Amino acid sequence: MFEREIEDFLEKLRTRREFLKVSGKGIVGITVTASVLNLLGCSNPDVGSASAFVTAKGILIAERNKCTGCQRCEMVCTVANDGKVHPLISRIKISRNFNYGDEITDNYRNEDGYFGNFLMTPETCKQCKEPKCAESCPADAISLNEKLGAWTVDKDKCVGCGACAAACPWHMPTIDPESKKSTKCILCGACAENCITGALKIIPWEEVAAMFTRKGYRFS
Amino acid sequence: MSKITGWTGKMLRVNLTTGSIAVEDTMKYKDFIGGAGIGYKVIFDEVPQGTKAFDEANKIVIGVGPFTGTGVPCSGRTNITSLAPTNPYNAITDSHMGGNFGAFLKFAGWDAIIVEGASKTPVWLRIEDDKVSIEDASNLWGKGVIDTTHELNNVMGKEACIASIGQAGENLVHLSSIVNSVNHSAGGHGGVFGSKKLKAIGVRGTQAVHIAEGKGQEWLKLNEYMLKDIIGANNQHVVPSTPQPWAEYHDKGSRWTAQTALFWGAAEPKVETGECPAGDKNKVGLRTQKAIFDLGPVAEARTIKMGGCHSCPIRCQSNLKVPELEKYGLSGYATSTCIGFINPGTVMVNGFSDGEKQGEVALIAKSLGSRLADDYGIWSNYGQLGRDFKYSYQSGKLKEVLPKEEYDSIPWDLVESGDPGFLVEFYRRIALKEGEFSKLGLGPYWLDKEWNLGKEYWTGYGNNVWSKMAFPKHHSNEAGAQVGVLVNVMFNRDANSHTHMNMIGAGLPIEILKEVAGEVWGSPDALDAPNDYTPMNEYKAKFAKWSLDRNFLHDSITLCNWVWPMTVSPSKSRNYRGDTALEAKFFSLATGIETSEKELDLAAERIATMHRAATIKEMETIDMRNEHDIIPEWVFIDSKNPDAKPFTPGTVMLDREDMQLALTMLYKEYGWDEKTGAPTRATLERLNLKDVADELEKLNLLPK
Repeated sequence: MFEREIEDFLEKLRTRREFLKVSGKGIVGITVTASVLNLLGCSNPDVGSASAFVTAKGILIAERNKCTGCQRCEMVCTVANDGKVHPLISRIKISRNFNYGDEITDNYRNEDGYFGNFLMTPETCKQCKEPKCAESCPADAISLNEKLGAWTVDKDKCVGCGACAAACPWHMPTIDPESKKSTKCILCGACAENCITGALKIIPWEEVAAMFTRKGYRFS
Repeated sequence: MSKITGWTGKMLRVNLTTGSIAVEDTMKYKDFIGGAGIGYKVIFDEVPQGTKAFDEANKIVIGVGPFTGTGVPCSGRTNITSLAPTNPYNAITDSHMGGNFGAFLKFAGWDAIIVEGASKTPVWLRIEDDKVSIEDASNLWGKGVIDTTHELNNVMGKEACIASIGQAGENLVHLSSIVNSVNHSAGGHGGVFGSKKLKAIGVRGTQAVHIAEGKGQEWLKLNEYMLKDIIGANNQHVVPSTPQPWAEYHDKGSRWTAQTALFWGAAEPKVETGECPAGDKNKVGLRTQKAIFDLGPVAEARTIKMGGCHSCPIRCQSNLKVPELEKYGLSGYATSTCIGFINPGTVMVNGFSDGEKQGEVALIAKSLGSRLADDYGIWSNYGQLGRDFKYSYQSGKLKEVLPKEEYDSIPWDLVESGDPGFLVEFYRRIALKEGEFSKLGLGPYWLDKEWNLGKEYWTGYGNNVWSKMAFPKHHSNEAGAQVGVLVNVMFNRDANSHTHMNMIGAGLPIEILKEVAGEVWGSPDALDAPNDYTPMNEYKAKFAKWSLDRNFLHDSITLCNWVWPMTVSPSKSRNYRGDTALEAKFFSLATGIETSEKELDLAAERIATMHRAATIKEMETIDMRNEHDIIPEWVFIDSKNPDAKPFTPGTVMLDREDMQLALTMLYKEYGWDEKTGAPTRATLERLNLKDVADELEKLNLLPK
């Protein structure tokens, strides 16, 4: 079972990486299992509390058991990309999950958030296989940037209509009220680089390859 | 000059008597930076002499400075300035809370809120960016902080940050707080909200806080430098608490508790703090495992994670799993601010049923008390509430002053047996003002007026009361000899100042600390070795003034004085030198106004002097030396060793004449009148406070 999980993951990974390198077609989403997370050196075998995404730079892992809600990822994101602090347009979202998790329920004192069990989930752009943000854009402003390996907004084309934000199932892109342009993650990595507990981290491809090789798996 | 950033430039003025809401320009207060600085000036200018804390004429200023919201590490603070009901003269104080409120206020586009007047019926203030309204709070009156917050989040959305009072503030309990984000509480001014019938302020912001144009990359570099080279752990402790291969020094008192095989044990899966060596910015948030520091080894298995304020990489608050609290009708999760665990512990005057100060019962009791105090909005008065109860109970005073029926209704068996359930009774009676017992919530001065606590209460070292301003000591003679005393002398509530303490307690050998002292204040003699004091000298006066000024600066800019300033660092390659110019470097990047450390220190001195001027106006005397700056007797007595002499090894007692010299030297450093300790016209004018000098002269409160 374990072997099959790893092989399956590697197969998908190859395809995904090819996709990130060269084109926006022919990719399947990647489910990261507990076994794979362990193999990647992640201490978090509970996939319910860790999320992992394959990006151009490496594998981005967000572990909510380590997130302390300081919200510095949001600040660093917007200073790096926009030259200002603006959580609303941050490409990583944590503030909105801080108090009560996804939603307020009557049982809030026992559910996610600082008013509950203290757990909060950092949400990141998944750089989808078939991104709804790009599909919905009436100005064709969102396209795959091969250098960055990320779906990227062309500011000159963006009309700030908000269709991308509405179409994204996780509402990750946001329209900057000042510039009237869509803000969307370009995998700059500033959030992970500055996370104070390592709750967000990008494992570079070199390290991913080394880990798999060490365990006897072929990685190309 | 380039565009000024950092500040939003706008302040709200809300009059609850008339219902008017106005917008004002922050920049007229630019010389006072923000937060407390603005608060002192507004109260000085606008609140008439003789006003009491709960009078309609009192005002309350809720403000932040140019740092909050800009992501400067440890800047998630909100400052609240008003007259204080606990102070014998109802003199000005500022209280402070962390959490998210301050940053969210900035994101809504506001630097401060000035609340004046008083509503006849309960109201709350709703702020959604530029849209501000006064709303009916009749349905919230009588509710605790958590329920109030939940109800207002249902109205404003789950992301809004709510600052609220609990029942204690509503009932004008002197020791009451304003609380946001569960456990971030500003102590002492909850009753002022209550007197204005203001239940809460809700803030939701969608705007940017700008830093200086084109300085984003510099901001990131400065942030990196601070996190890698300068910052340590909670209270800027810069050495680990245990020996570690990478560390040259360790100190068991350090709050840098991270180590191999130490976990956030209730995290799923659990998280190892591990070693967090200097230079690794991705582990700064793991360094302070505060639960085991506050509650002992039993807390490790219950630690879900550490929490803290917006923007702060030092996570100093413990988030715990305590299912035993369900027995008391609470959720099974607990958290606290730093004093929150200590005070419930001191209330349990007979210890805990298992006999362990840091055992499971103590943990449950402290968690329970912390949750109750935060929900009722009760202020611990820096732990004094518990000490006042202890004194009143153990001296027999409570039995003497409480009506028999009331005394007999108190379940003393619970406190005697160390059962945490006593805290349910304790906090409810105080918050709801039930009976004579609730007078414990008046604070030392007014409690003494009611119960005549006696000389022993005031002079007993363990009682910690700072006469005659009647607040608890806060890092006093035991912390830096005369320096600690001078820091305590200047305030109208507990000093809340850690500038000196963080440096003294950093964990480095005294030789290194003395070298640093020499570089910052001109001579290693500014600092004595612990319990081995020398007579007063001018460098200690400089150290004391700097400590005070940085504290006033931090409350204005707004930064956490539990971590800042960065006098030392954990970096061996820097020879453990910190960077005292960091505030100025961040200030330049935040505001776009190129500002040196010296210039910022001058602004800090202006704010400190403004606080002094406001105190003089409220006390209606210039004789601060004899009316305000009184040093309690216990500073000059060594209760453990009655034969001890000052300035001999092994005692922290000080000498009366030497402390008078210390006051003179401090006044001299400030350019205040050396006889009275009141600022002179020349000094006020040097600090661009001519209008303040004019007002004081008009009131006959300027030294001749």
